[in-house]
Amino acid sequence: MFEISRISDDTIALSGRFDASQVKKATEFLAPVDCSITFDLADLDYISSAGLGVLVATYKRLDQSGKTVKLKNLSGHIQTVFKFSGLDRIFQIIRD
Amino acid sequence: MPISRSFPKSIEALEQIVDFLDSSVGGGKIDPEIVGMMQLAVEEIFVNMVKYNDSSSNDIRIELDHRADILRIRLTDFDVDRFDPTEAAAVDINMPLSERRAGGLGIHLVKTMMDQIEYEYKDRNSSVTLIKNLNSTGG
Repeated sequence: MFEISRISDDTIALSGRFDASQVKKATEFLAPVDCSITFDLADLDYISSAGLGVLVATYKRLDQSGKTVKLKNLSGHIQTVFKFSGLDRIFQIIRD
Repeated sequence: MPISRSFPKSIEALEQIVDFLDSSVGGGKIDPEIVGMMQLAVEEIFVNMVKYNDSSSNDIRIELDHRADILRIRLTDFDVDRFDPTEAAAVDINMPLSERRAGGLGIHLVKTMMDQIEYEYKDRNSSVTLIKNLNSTGG
């Protein structure tokens, strides 16, 4: 079960499994977002290249207008996928 | 003994595939990191078959063969044109996003996370076998 929700003005939480079947849901949720944001991935259990694609598209769109996209609370599988894709060097990752 | 199941050629089948993998391999004893890699590799290959092998709508068969510490997962797409994901151009993950070409990241992740990938095309059936040592977190 994948969920995406805004938990504060500048923070969007992702939870569950972000696979190819959830691209439409996430894309529609993120389309109106037009400010700097942080994705809180504390409860995200799984992400594939399809999910990464949605985050990258959001990053590119907001970056064009000078906004930032940050990530926080990456663990386990999520951290591995970002590392192996090289995206851990693209996104700013907030570390505790 | 290998076990297999067929799944509809649809992205919506991913949830059933994860349930199949979870219930068939390891009995919860495999490192969660490796479970995530295995699920990702299967998703990437399955989604490739759904997206690019659209010359048939036959089900896709997934076979699991778990012996000792080696897991082999074979995905077969029936009556389709040849499409070998192992021939996909390499992705340079050190390039800035603006210079990266679209696509290819999924296969890059599969190649990075699995120990070996084999491709076979025979009688118009396209098969990809993912091989993973369950003691190796790869990368």
